[in-house]
Order: sequence, then structure tokens, then C-alpha cells
Amino acid sequence: MVDIEELKAQFLHRDFDTREFILEPGKMVTVAQACGEQQPEFTQPQHPDFQASPAFICSLASGRHLPIDFPSLGGIPMDGGKAITCHAPVKAGVNLVGKTHLHDIYDKKGRSGRMILIVARMEIYDDNNTHLATTDSHMVIRERSDT
Amino acid sequence: MSITTIHDVEFGAELPTFVPDTSLANTSQFAHAVGWGGGRFEDHERARKEGLPGALVPGIMGMGFLTSTIHNWCPAATIEHIDTVFRAPMLADDPCIIGAVVTDIDEDTGLVELDMTLKNSADETRVFGTARVKLPV
Repeated sequence: MVDIEELKAQFLHRDFDTREFILEPGKMVTVAQACGEQQPEFTQPQHPDFQASPAFICSLASGRHLPIDFPSLGGIPMDGGKAITCHAPVKAGVNLVGKTHLHDIYDKKGRSGRMILIVARMEIYDDNNTHLATTDSHMVIRERSDT
Repeated sequence: MSITTIHDVEFGAELPTFVPDTSLANTSQFAHAVGWGGGRFEDHERARKEGLPGALVPGIMGMGFLTSTIHNWCPAATIEHIDTVFRAPMLADDPCIIGAVVTDIDEDTGLVELDMTLKNSADETRVFGTARVKLPV
């Protein structure tokens, strides 16, 4: 059985992935409209405050959610949920950087075994290093008994 | 009732329900735009071959439905934080409905807390969450 405290000591709060983005207005509009969004700041690129919707920002966090040296826990990570804290509008055509670290690791025990829950946090900055948004991706892994 | 400022909000009030478009055509368009194209989001038959009950609605699209519910209720609301739990998969072409209730109000800062749920046609909760939104004071 994996020692959660050891995992936390080894992996928490250490950036393991840095990605660069430039958001495309067309995709931002498609996502907002598909969700039923009607506000022009999310659906009209010519609006002076045109920006990405929270769901679109969360989509930037897809991809590698675990450090490359993170041990295998047996099961395939399932998407347990997403959260976002918005600090400032995330705009199209701007150079963005997303830095990801593990924010929390904890477990829950049930009748069918132990689940490991991992929170991967991406902090998104613009090219002035202004912190625009923070997304949390919650992963749930059912631990295999022989790990 | 139209909500324009924090003073229009009542503790315990329910937001107008929202029925989003969960058609496969719409959910696959979303998936494609965020780079998640593929059978599990775009084709029922291909999703079933992967062992799924049908094509899925992307989880973050559920979050998008919740944020649209908030903006439809109060167009001037700014979402500061939203936290969603993907309790179980949502299937494309299965209608769903979103409900929300006001659980806290701070009239000095304009902050409102909401509890939100997304239920499928069998009245099962598939996504739930909380949001903190800021309204004009």
C-alpha cells in the first residue's frame, strides 16, 4: 500500500509541467455557445471584454496531470471534477503560460478498497506574469491491492 | 425576477432551471473545440465499443452548463470560483436539467454562494457543485 505522506513529501507543490497557449476566438465562442452562454463577453469576439468562459479555461488543464516519475497506483485515473478560481479575464491572442503542480493527495477508504484522490493545480499567467486563473483537476484512482 | 444587483437576491431562492442542449451534435462540437475529439465524445457506437454506455458529455461541459445558468440568472454576475464534482458520466442525447439555490449572501461585498446540481432524465445527479459569484452592490 502506497504511503500517502511519502507521496505528499515527494510530489506536492513542485511544478512538473509548463505549457504555453494562445487562445483562438473561434473555439472560445464555440465552447461558450455550446454551453448555452448568451453573454456577449463570451460569445462576441469584437466585445471589448471578450474572454474565455470558465469551462474553456479548465480545458487547458487537459493532458499530463501527473509528474513523469509519479508511481503507478494500479488503476487508470478518472476525472473526478474540476474547479476554477478566476482572478482576471483570460483573453484571446495573448501569450499564456500554464504551470502545473500537485496541490493535494489524500485517500478515502471504502468497502471496495482504497481510492487515492489527487488534485493537479494549473496556474495560468499572461506574458506580464499576471496571475489570471487557477484550475484544479481532481483525479480519482482506485488503488490496486498489490501496489 | 430579473437580478441586477446583490439587493435583488434572496437567501434560499432558487435560480430559474436551465435545460441545456445535450444533443450529440452539440456535445461533440464542444469536445472538438477543446481538442477532445474521438469516439467516446462523438459517436455512440464507437463509445459502446470502448465499453461505455454511449457517447459522453465532456465533464467540463457540465461546468459550462452551470456557469451559463448563473449568467442567465444574473447577466452582471462575475464568477469568482466554481467547483464541480463529476459524480457519474452524462450521456449525450440524454436531456438534463440544472437547478441552483442561493446558500449565502454578503450584501457588503456583493458575493453570493450557490449550490448547483445537474440531473439527467432519470432524476439522477450527475454533476454537482458550488459557486461563488460577485454581483453589483
